Amino acid sequence: MYSGERPRSVHYLLLLPVLALLGLFLASVALLFSNAFSGGGGFSLQYFQQILDRTDYQIVFLRTFVASVAIAVIATVLSYPVAMLLWRADRWRNLLLIVVLIPWLVSLVIRTYGWIVLLGPKGVINGMLQWLGLLDQPVRLMFNDTGLVIGLVHVLMPFAVISILSSLLTIEDNLEEASRVLGARPWQTLTRIVLPLSLPGAFTALIVIFLASMGAIVTPILLGGVSQKFVGTQIYQEVMYAFNMNKAAAWALCLLVVSLLGLLALKAIERRVLRNHEQGART
Amino acid sequence: MRILGIALLLALPLPILIVVGSSFNPGGYIRFPPDGFSLRWYVEAFADPRWPRAFGVSLLIAAVSAVLVTATSFLTAYFSLRYAPRLGAALEIAIFSPLFFPSAAMGVGFVVLLARFGLVGVMGGIVLAHLVVTLPFAYRPIHVAMRSIDPDIVRAANVLGASEWRAVRDIVLPMTRSGIMTALLFSGIISFDEVTVTMFLIGPHITTLPVQIYAFIQDTSSPVLAAISTISVVMTLVAVVLLERTVGLAFFVRRETA
Repeated sequence: MYSGERPRSVHYLLLLPVLALLGLFLASVALLFSNAFSGGGGFSLQYFQQILDRTDYQIVFLRTFVASVAIAVIATVLSYPVAMLLWRADRWRNLLLIVVLIPWLVSLVIRTYGWIVLLGPKGVINGMLQWLGLLDQPVRLMFNDTGLVIGLVHVLMPFAVISILSSLLTIEDNLEEASRVLGARPWQTLTRIVLPLSLPGAFTALIVIFLASMGAIVTPILLGGVSQKFVGTQIYQEVMYAFNMNKAAAWALCLLVVSLLGLLALKAIERRVLRNHEQGART
Repeated sequence: MRILGIALLLALPLPILIVVGSSFNPGGYIRFPPDGFSLRWYVEAFADPRWPRAFGVSLLIAAVSAVLVTATSFLTAYFSLRYAPRLGAALEIAIFSPLFFPSAAMGVGFVVLLARFGLVGVMGGIVLAHLVVTLPFAYRPIHVAMRSIDPDIVRAANVLGASEWRAVRDIVLPMTRSGIMTALLFSGIISFDEVTVTMFLIGPHITTLPVQIYAFIQDTSSPVLAAISTISVVMTLVAVVLLERTVGLAFFVRRETA
């Protein structure tokens, strides 16, 4: 619609609502900084010291980071077979897409609740194993790292499926056909054509899931339990039970920095991998 | 590979199906498969005024947020595409930036900001937060739909003497319809189901459905929760099917090629 026409001043009013919302977001970030660095009536690093000096808190950050990377990788890898299935299913794609979209859009509280019903000590899985006579005592599937990883992988997986499928759908049909006609075996077509071309979607999935997992609160509290500390659960407790907004802000900024470092690392890996594939394709 | 794909695909809705299934169990505890069929827990859910109230609050917040954020996105996309593509590109980066912000950090940011204006524990505060959270999801479908409008059509309307308002009403608006519909339903669903940021902003007088479900999960194992969850799932399902019937789901799997 752009025709080089210059907007009249009245047109700038159209931007008012969006600028108000972005201003709101910016203000909340600015207040995070001013809260975290304040104390004793002026600038202070005391809240950061309270967090970063404690070994157990350092471990919480490390745990959250490692778990989030693992969750992102597992969810992305597991999403490939599903995305491939939807990609091949031309006629049924819309129906199958709904099967993926519903779990993505239903509130994550409810999906986590489903896992509690499944994994709990009186849950479906324990009940089944006992009924089959494989177990005498219920096994602990919840309130540990297993429950937390299973839950977050499942909660965040639908997005990865959608992201990878979007990339697969950009592959032109004749590319696969050309590969076949030129004598490539199916797995060669898969590894040399399909996988490389789907990488952008896979990396989007990795990044989004990593960030979502870093900032997660509900699933870690409900499936990991209070003893399995996650950065998100620490922040939530700081706000809701300790009412210490300054320390919560310092926590949030630390979380932001760690998340951004992870994001930049993933972006760097993405660039490297995509470049290697381009070079590989040329040779 | 194929069998693995099918198994994993079916695993995605599994926990939801388990919750739905166990909501019809007549017994006093969660059980799957259910022992029988009973609507007892649905009756109990509606008998407790807290559930209909939280449901109504969530629905209202979702409706208000969806309308406001869709209108905002429409105005922004129109200005950028019609008058200032370069400014628009810069704005877009700002609009998408909240997506890269971990929810927990966003929750703290909002509670600190809104507390200054006494907006924590009020509906207005939750709506403001939801507007920021849903903005990228509403902006993208509208921007994609509006971008594909042939500039010559708008120019022709101009040449033929149509006012700008008329061109927007009779050309841009109808041609962006699918994007508007997607934006409304998509942002409505996200707002209705949002929990991680919202849980910082509730108060003694106001809470949303997902946050209340979260609070109850920790206190009780009553199947009422399964019944409430089922109702919430049905709401999301209705919205997705509505989206599929009206404008299709292609939007979700479209990748920006530009």
